[in-house]
Amino acid sequence: MKIFKTFFLLLFICSGLNAQTADEIIQSYFDNTGGYENWGNLEGVKMTGVAKTQGMDIPVEIYQLEGGEQLIKIDVQGQQLTQLAFDGETAWTTNFMTMKPEKSDSETTENIKRQSKDFPSPFYNYKEKGYEVEMMGTETMEGTEVYKIKLTQQPVLVNGKEEPNVTYYFFDTENNVIIASESEIKMGPMKGQTNKSTLSGYQEVDGLYFPFDLTMMGSSISIEEIQLNPEIDDDMFEFPEVEDEKEADDQNKN
Amino acid sequence: MKQILLFLVLFSVITQAQESNQIIGKEIFGDIEARQIGPAVMSGRITDIENHPTNKNIIYVGAAGGGVWKSQDGGVTFNSIFDDHAQSIGAIEIDPNNPDKIIWVGTGETWTRNSVSIGDGLYRSTDGGTNWTKVGFEESERIAAIQVNPENSDEVYVASLGPLWGDGDQRGIYKTTDGGENWEKLLYIDETTGASELVMHPENPEIMYAAFWQFRRTPWSFSSGGPNSGLYKTTDGGENWEKIHKGFPEGDLGRIAVAIAPSNPEIVYAVLETEDKNKSGLWKSTDGGKNWEHLNNDFGLTVRPFYFSRITVDPRNPDIVVKGGLNGSISRDGGKTFKNLGYMHSDIHDITFHNNDSDIMYAATDGGLYRSWNGGTTFEIVEDLPVSQFYHVSVDNDEPYNVYGGLQDNNSWYGPSSAPGGIKAKNWNPIGAGDGFRVLKHPTKNIIYSEMQGADNVWRYHVESNRVKTIQPLPQDSKTELRFNWNAPIAISDHAPDRLYIGSQFLHKSEDMGDTWEIISPDLTTNDPAKQDQSKSGGLSMDNSGAENHTTIFSIAESPLDQNIIWVGTDDGNIQLTTDGGKSWNNKIKNLQGVPANSWVYHIEASSHDKATAYVVIEDHSRGNMKPYVYKTTDYGNSWTSLVTDNIEGFARNIQEDFVNPDLLFLGTEFGLYISINGGKNWAKFENNMPAVAVHYMDIQKRENDLVMGTHGRGIIIIDDITPLRELSPEILEKDVHFFETEPTVMVEESGFSSSFGTETQFAGPNPSKALKIPYYLKKRHTFGKMTMEVQDMEGNTIAELAPGKSKGINIVTWNYTLNVPKMAKGKTLDFGGFTAPRVKAGKYKIVLTKGKESYSTIVELKYDDKAMVTAAERAEQEDYTMRLYNMIEDLAYLVYQVDEKIGLARQVLEDYPKAEKVAKSYLSELEALKKDLVITTGDNYVASADPELREKMAELYSNIASNYGKVGVSRKASYDVIESEFNKALERFEEIEKKEGEKLSKFIKQNNIEPKELQSKEEFLED
Repeated sequence: MKIFKTFFLLLFICSGLNAQTADEIIQSYFDNTGGYENWGNLEGVKMTGVAKTQGMDIPVEIYQLEGGEQLIKIDVQGQQLTQLAFDGETAWTTNFMTMKPEKSDSETTENIKRQSKDFPSPFYNYKEKGYEVEMMGTETMEGTEVYKIKLTQQPVLVNGKEEPNVTYYFFDTENNVIIASESEIKMGPMKGQTNKSTLSGYQEVDGLYFPFDLTMMGSSISIEEIQLNPEIDDDMFEFPEVEDEKEADDQNKN
Repeated sequence: MKQILLFLVLFSVITQAQESNQIIGKEIFGDIEARQIGPAVMSGRITDIENHPTNKNIIYVGAAGGGVWKSQDGGVTFNSIFDDHAQSIGAIEIDPNNPDKIIWVGTGETWTRNSVSIGDGLYRSTDGGTNWTKVGFEESERIAAIQVNPENSDEVYVASLGPLWGDGDQRGIYKTTDGGENWEKLLYIDETTGASELVMHPENPEIMYAAFWQFRRTPWSFSSGGPNSGLYKTTDGGENWEKIHKGFPEGDLGRIAVAIAPSNPEIVYAVLETEDKNKSGLWKSTDGGKNWEHLNNDFGLTVRPFYFSRITVDPRNPDIVVKGGLNGSISRDGGKTFKNLGYMHSDIHDITFHNNDSDIMYAATDGGLYRSWNGGTTFEIVEDLPVSQFYHVSVDNDEPYNVYGGLQDNNSWYGPSSAPGGIKAKNWNPIGAGDGFRVLKHPTKNIIYSEMQGADNVWRYHVESNRVKTIQPLPQDSKTELRFNWNAPIAISDHAPDRLYIGSQFLHKSEDMGDTWEIISPDLTTNDPAKQDQSKSGGLSMDNSGAENHTTIFSIAESPLDQNIIWVGTDDGNIQLTTDGGKSWNNKIKNLQGVPANSWVYHIEASSHDKATAYVVIEDHSRGNMKPYVYKTTDYGNSWTSLVTDNIEGFARNIQEDFVNPDLLFLGTEFGLYISINGGKNWAKFENNMPAVAVHYMDIQKRENDLVMGTHGRGIIIIDDITPLRELSPEILEKDVHFFETEPTVMVEESGFSSSFGTETQFAGPNPSKALKIPYYLKKRHTFGKMTMEVQDMEGNTIAELAPGKSKGINIVTWNYTLNVPKMAKGKTLDFGGFTAPRVKAGKYKIVLTKGKESYSTIVELKYDDKAMVTAAERAEQEDYTMRLYNMIEDLAYLVYQVDEKIGLARQVLEDYPKAEKVAKSYLSELEALKKDLVITTGDNYVASADPELREKMAELYSNIASNYGKVGVSRKASYDVIESEFNKALERFEEIEKKEGEKLSKFIKQNNIEPKELQSKEEFLED
């Protein structure tokens, strides 16, 4: 009799592994990376790192706030270029030719706005955000067994039409942390192809675990430091009014 | 205690089981990825087109062997969306109730030519083609049509054509009312007759027309038609079916096409294949099929019904009718008369009209998808569909090496394995006509051999002079006709470059490149007359194209180790061996157990390691048997061992033995590629960017160690550099980290131009990386904690930091053997010359991987390019100039940093202490003047750019010298001297300013107890 009990226990453990629901995995992901509540208390992050493309290490600074504000700044030859900034209303970038800020088109801005609820993670409170998750089963990703979870967010606008906004997240079955994601590219010449990102190098920062190494479309970012709830200069996200080009001005800047 | 013991026992049983299963699995392949180089220039057979009912931009197409492709731009560009599943497509259907999401795909082409691939069931996607679920019909082999009730997504009808080469009962019309969970068979005739078409009334889904076709192929014949073929109609959703033949001729019918005019559904067109040739062709009913009238039996309407049986009516005009065919036909008078469609690739299988503009048409041909803007008068090809169907592939030893091969209905071609800007249509060269098969490069001369179907022509092409000679063997006496297979084998010798073999029923040998032929064997086939009467092949419509020629030689393999050992495989089941150059022959099939008699000996691979060893791949699919048969002999065929394991899906056609590691084997099957690292004891499916496509032939390019596959539907697919697979062993799989051995990497010294004119929407095959590759194995994926990789020189100085891969299995990190770009002086603008990264010197470098506390290392080596156009001394001088400029750029950057800091300080002091004007003002203005000469301080990066200053001149020269693979010219040296002297002058000027003016400010700072500003050291600055 005891033998059977033990056997059943083993069976139960084994089958339990296979029967995880999306919610259980997401819950476990938050548990394993610092606790749901702690993630909820997070107001913002600043990440400092280096983007690597062949032969070039480009310093990067990324800010993300609870309200959806974000800023990605890169440093090229000592010039600070804003790759993307969003203050909750306006998204803008630096034009590489003129080195001046330019507003993103309204559709891009709207799509960024729609994602402003994603902090600290699109899975956090996903139901309240109106997102849906679906367990798609297990797969091999990065040589490792993963759970594939489909996340459907608010639709994105593509040339004025709404299209479903679906991303597949891959949680490794061992730790239930995200090691990769895939989504369909909706715009540009690669439209219809798949954009795959990988996440690794998880490290603890004040009790929360973040992936420090990211790859996307053949380039990689290595994060060197993450600050939680960093000090923010409020107008850093705002579109700067372009000053007239004057010699004196330039000298002031340098 | 007992419990614990039991637990331990159980636990050990489980772990033991896992250990004994410790074999290579697909998760090991990691970063080893297939590279799909197309081409799309000739594209391949498209079987079905499906336009979205409301969104004009969305189009799905199914390929004969290349899967399902989706366009979101009206058919200009396409993406493959069905890679993981059977690539032979019969029918695609969009659910009209939910057209953005629900897509049905029936696999298995229904244009049943000899070389057709097989399907494995019905699939459904509920998210527009991203994810697919199989929903039955595993035994159907081919699905001809799917119809969804436009008012109910769950109600779906399927026309299953069923197996081509054998009986089957998963044929006929099926219905589901629960979205595919359960299926009810509504109409079934018998095990030889399948449903070849199903169309639904546009307004009343209860009304449908179904065509049934009795058909069968054998390896040596084809039969279309019989008493069971027929046309049926239901008016009650498939409960009851009525044969609607009123007006049709008596006798057997063949394949039937049927279409309803959407704008007037009482008008129904049918195309019949009949016993009475005068009654074949187009029939029309104007009363929903009650009565039929014969309208037309032109060639275009009656040609090869098994291959062309699709008829489409303009959605807005019942009189405009198009039919697939050799050229495609269009009628604008309700079917009374037809003319050919505009010029495009021949053999048109499907035609559709744009959903709201009938001038726009799409046509599916043997040579890709075509699009017309003017109602079919002119057509343009879609240039983005690499679904080419290769029968064979071979490679040469050029740099880059070329790939050669012949295709179904698309001639023979060769093209490079890499090209500037990607491998585009223009890089491919035609080398033959008709259907193409073997294409072989002469081992030493600039000569290419190619052939067309049935060896009707074998060509010897002299590339430089553009001269062709036709060299196929011809009958040498009036009694003996030569029987060549449709896909006749030709082989060149590893021992004598001018030697050529070709197989009919005899083995022919030439020692002079095909000018003279000698027969060196008796008839090596069964010579069974029952399989030799192709003039009767075709059924109702005779179809003697040569595609069914049988009792022929199909494979020839001369041993790479001994020219007297030649293996010959025949399509009717013989494995013949000579060990004396053809004097005597022995049939070795008698020693091989487990394969049905007279199965097709598809490929023999003579081992390159041992002359008694050979591999044979046998298949029997054309008699309805889909099992794979792979055998190995180590004693000249006296005994054979099966290498087949249960996990291999689909029948196999080709095996490739590695020329270095005899245990590394590649197996091409109907559903993809399998790899074994232990001589065939276990196989793992390779799926990294490798679709489940039929692999017809493989070769290894020995210099690059690339596996090159000719696929029948996805073009040429290459796995670059298989060397890590050679080294994999059970011992390595147990290690936490293992660096694979690598050969020295050549730093290729090539530059040049690549244009992209006109290729914006054209497929271009990706190039292999020329970077140094660092392959290593990780036992476990690295998810937590830091893992870094750096390149060090042999003294341990860091040269570059790389981003390591962290997958379980094989990771491949690349390093493009450069230093980081120099740190540039900060100016107003970016300097593009400064984005040049200088190459390191050839030699050995150490790769250090740090994973947590552990560190692992390996040595890699870089070599200079043998084809370089510089001497060693010239290159050394170039490297020297490059590094001198590199360092000068960084020195300048540091100078500018210091100047900027001092300017900042002077400004600060001036602002805080108005009385400092005397000591700071001229200091500031001199520094500012200096800076203006050092870097650009105005303008932008484009047309508002300022004149170049020292930084820009320096970087331009640096970039020019660093990125050229030639000696440094006199004028560049002179330019260097000028720049160096300017820089030295600037340094002196800075020193002088500091001495004269800077001192004053320093004093002032001291006197006023202002906190001095600490400057970074140069090392700190460069590190920052």
